[in-house]
Amino acid sequence: MRRNLFALPAVAVAAALLLAGCGGSSGGNGSGSTTADPGPETGTITFTGTDNAETYQPVIKAFEAKNPGIKVTYTQIPFDQFNATMQQRLSAKDTGIDVYTVDEPRVSQLAAKGFLTDLSDLDGKVKGSFTKAAYETNHFRDKLWSLPMWNSTQYLFYNKTALAKAKVTPPTADPQQRWTWEQVEAAGRKSMQAGGTKYGLFMEQPEAYYQLQPLAESLGGGSGITGDDALTPAIETDGWKKAMQWYGATFASGLSPRGIGGFQTGPVFSNGDVAFFVGGPWDLKIFGSSKIDWGVAPLPYFQGGKPVTPTGSWSLGINPASKQQGMARKFIEFATLDPAGNLATTSTTTIIPANLDAQKQYTPKMDAFSGAKTVGAAAITAYESEHTAVSRPVSVGYIQFEEVLGKAFADIRNGTNSDQRLQQATQQLNDAWKTIK
Amino acid sequence: MRQRQGLIALAFLAPALVCLAVLRIVPAISAVVESFYTESLLRGGRVFTGLSNYTDLLGSKDFRQSVGVTLLFTVLVNPIQVMVSFLLAVLFTQKAAGSKLWRTLVILPIATPPAVSAVIWSVIYRPDGLGNGVLQRLGLPAQPFLTSPNQVLPSLIVLLSWIGVGYWMLFLIAGIQEVPVEVREAALLDGAGPWRRMISVILPLVRRPLAFVLVADTVSNLLVFAPVQILTKGGPNGNSNLLMYDVYNRAYAIGDIHVANAEVVILVVLTLAIVAGQFRLLRGDQ
Repeated sequence: MRRNLFALPAVAVAAALLLAGCGGSSGGNGSGSTTADPGPETGTITFTGTDNAETYQPVIKAFEAKNPGIKVTYTQIPFDQFNATMQQRLSAKDTGIDVYTVDEPRVSQLAAKGFLTDLSDLDGKVKGSFTKAAYETNHFRDKLWSLPMWNSTQYLFYNKTALAKAKVTPPTADPQQRWTWEQVEAAGRKSMQAGGTKYGLFMEQPEAYYQLQPLAESLGGGSGITGDDALTPAIETDGWKKAMQWYGATFASGLSPRGIGGFQTGPVFSNGDVAFFVGGPWDLKIFGSSKIDWGVAPLPYFQGGKPVTPTGSWSLGINPASKQQGMARKFIEFATLDPAGNLATTSTTTIIPANLDAQKQYTPKMDAFSGAKTVGAAAITAYESEHTAVSRPVSVGYIQFEEVLGKAFADIRNGTNSDQRLQQATQQLNDAWKTIK
Repeated sequence: MRQRQGLIALAFLAPALVCLAVLRIVPAISAVVESFYTESLLRGGRVFTGLSNYTDLLGSKDFRQSVGVTLLFTVLVNPIQVMVSFLLAVLFTQKAAGSKLWRTLVILPIATPPAVSAVIWSVIYRPDGLGNGVLQRLGLPAQPFLTSPNQVLPSLIVLLSWIGVGYWMLFLIAGIQEVPVEVREAALLDGAGPWRRMISVILPLVRRPLAFVLVADTVSNLLVFAPVQILTKGGPNGNSNLLMYDVYNRAYAIGDIHVANAEVVILVVLTLAIVAGQFRLLRGDQ
């Protein structure tokens, strides 16, 4: 019996460790916030987001120059862990976060959980300063919860050298002569045979709803969410099924690579290993340092379908648990509603400012981001924003939707039958949403 | 006098006891309590639902698969790690040239945080990565590793053993060095070969550290999280969806803290059952 003595404490500690891992608070109560105490007028506020610290240095500097006595410190949480970490910290009413970046489709759920301060008194100002889509996605239950900071779109980047080698005429930047995915696939295969690239086509975020929604929407498959309360899955429509069959096949046939994810995708293009790459405005500058010659074209669509492009990006919101509401509000107003402040958020990372005045000054410059390579980017950006942009669905269940679909896309990419996997995802969504309703 | 001594002892223990209560026991009780509640996002408010979180979990195919994967993982990874650690411990307690250097090399991965190890292995396991590069040199076909439902668990076991084996080996080396020299010499004089000495002399004499390693290793492997989060997110098809990751996913990605609490309670019960079973087996041999 003596032999076992050491075991009892070990087991007890193990049990306690396990339980402690998941104990704690039970989240917000869904009531939103009341008018909060503005707190002190000077001091240091913290700002949490996913981008590199350099991205926000210009806006923070400009803000601090304009508001003596207020300092802003920025904390980066990598994108892959951002949503989960924020969920954890906000539900624990962590006062260490004053301002944070909010992914637009998540506004509803964050607001419903009481993770955002009500900003409705700014409603009038916001209406005039941003597009209608941006204005609406930052609302939930007729209240304004966050201020749009950026906008985005997607482009088709192509490896000029490889296409020339494979004797393929590259796509043009003209949205009227947009390529179909079928054309991209054929040209990509030619490039693999004769152009010296390992792969034909690759998406920057191969398992993200943001990038894959346009595939299904192009075939008329819808956003994937339906119903009055936007809590009914609709990912087994013909459009979704066809889009996912095609998507799975691009990996099965070797046109696109499996097993490369996160932030390892961009280098596949900039190293010259793939003929076509789907990426965002940020890539216009990132790829500028690549040794290969490349160009930019509008996002393709399916033959017989319609062109659809993603839109939306990060907004800024305030943590209701923050004890410095006044300073936090000053900062987010400066970074979004003030055109100069909003422009400053886009001076390091190339992303489209959401403020319309800032956008007018910004878009024309996009053509020159990487010399001759990015010619046409400005016109594409303006065209997509007006004609083809489709927002991600506004639903209080969006967070679950994105998580469940992200796993489904990953499995489809790895070779799982797409029809069955979409059916399984529908079941998983019904389970996950049951607790929300 | 005795009472005063007791009070002094209590005063010294107080900081540890307070920490234990605040950091471990209170959250543990809270987890159990919260697992009986549910909360509607749209309507708000916390409602007592009894065992419904548990029945929902047991009724969920994904959860049952996660339990299955975790059990399979436990059955595979622990014997492998304990056996390899033991063999390495025996090897590195031999008086051989450079054995200290080798020992250091085996222990080195402990110094790397699990997250960093996972990132390193993500490069090895990439389809165009180091692993397939080596296989190609050896004239072997390329393997899908983490992207295959069948290879994902073995791939994780290799990675985790790379991290863990050196650590557990340390305990066994300490145990082997405790084996009295006379016993070893006696075995040597009796003409026992190296294999015989390992099985019949060293193994029975290191049973205590071995039992500790088995139990501690089992518990730590039931808590595996970082490599799953970083490398596979539970896929493909849920074949690496270990319970600890599933708990995290439910709590912080899906955002259902109450069901996650129920799941963690189940995980604790499972861990206790497995560890209790191991003790029974070890005691039975006595």
